[in-house]
Amino acid sequence: MTAENDDNSDITLRLMDLGDIDDFMVWATDDKVSQFCTWKTCTSKEEAMTYMINSVIPHPWMRAICLKNRAIGYIMLTAFEGNDACRCEVGYVLASKYWGKGIATRALKMVASTVFCEWTHLERLDAWVDQDNLGSQRVLVKAGFQKEGVLRKYMLIKGKPRDMVVFSLLSTDPHVN
Amino acid sequence: MQPKSKDILNDEDDYSDISLRLMDVNDIDDFMVWATDDKVSRYCTWSTYTSKEQAMDFFTNIVAPHPWLRAICLRNRAIGSISVTPFEGSDACRGELGYVLASKYWGKGIVTRAVKKVASVIFAEWPHLERLEALVDVDNAGSQRVLQKAGFQREGVLRKYVIQKGRTRDMVIFSLLSSEITQS
Repeated sequence: MTAENDDNSDITLRLMDLGDIDDFMVWATDDKVSQFCTWKTCTSKEEAMTYMINSVIPHPWMRAICLKNRAIGYIMLTAFEGNDACRCEVGYVLASKYWGKGIATRALKMVASTVFCEWTHLERLDAWVDQDNLGSQRVLVKAGFQKEGVLRKYMLIKGKPRDMVVFSLLSTDPHVN
Repeated sequence: MQPKSKDILNDEDDYSDISLRLMDVNDIDDFMVWATDDKVSRYCTWSTYTSKEQAMDFFTNIVAPHPWLRAICLRNRAIGSISVTPFEGSDACRGELGYVLASKYWGKGIVTRAVKKVASVIFAEWPHLERLEALVDVDNAGSQRVLQKAGFQREGVLRKYVIQKGRTRDMVIFSLLSSEITQS
């Protein structure tokens, strides 16, 4: 599959299924992609399938990011309960070949523009990004998220405590379209 | 005949005898002093207690099984509590600090001392812990001062982060790292 122009209008979101496994493998086996994620690079199709079946597909809200209907990544939302029900965490993964083209930004804007309408109790979308993951920080800024601070030694990624930058978008923030 | 008094202080303004110890059901009357106080519960997710039965539930379901919770004591009588709640998995390097103090004792540096005591022991007790954090309502200036005086760093404001008493609140996040602990 080639992307001969930087045309983001063919970006769509849909449910992911086992039929996407070969496309899933493209990013799941890429160290560049997993570097700032909690999951480890998959080294075999079996490992990728296990990860896809156990962790990705069952996630309560998850969509494949598609270019011309082929999966090139995914975006997911994690909702909370009780006193934390006003917020939802967003995470995304994109095959490295498609970095730098505004695709993740577009997917994020698409999700942000619908999730506040669909979940009326939701007031805040947030994202936690490794301090060294500049590309992902740019995605969030371009999508209209506000940087709130750096949380020091906040979580373990590949066994090391990492400083994480926290970003948020409120239902009341201007939505960049 | 000496009048019976629940007052711990007996006219002395001496707040030097502050200690931390395990809390148990025998502290329930002292617990009720702060748990029934609207000023105390104002910025907390819990609502002011209205009965001793509720307090018993708290002791059974929260205090007894808690991984790390201590009564803050003045001359061995509980005037508040302080706790560290650990996280799991990728979040295991951090723990959340929480504390509550009867309003009569506010403004005397007691909680600051209790926080410093906790900070001086918790990282040694839990070697995997790298970060102690606390989230404070943006309007709770007193509690923010406690953390600042105890050496915590203010990292930012998490907007509309939690629901408290039916309203979404901005929370200030503070942290103290194990690498920042000095013997004091």
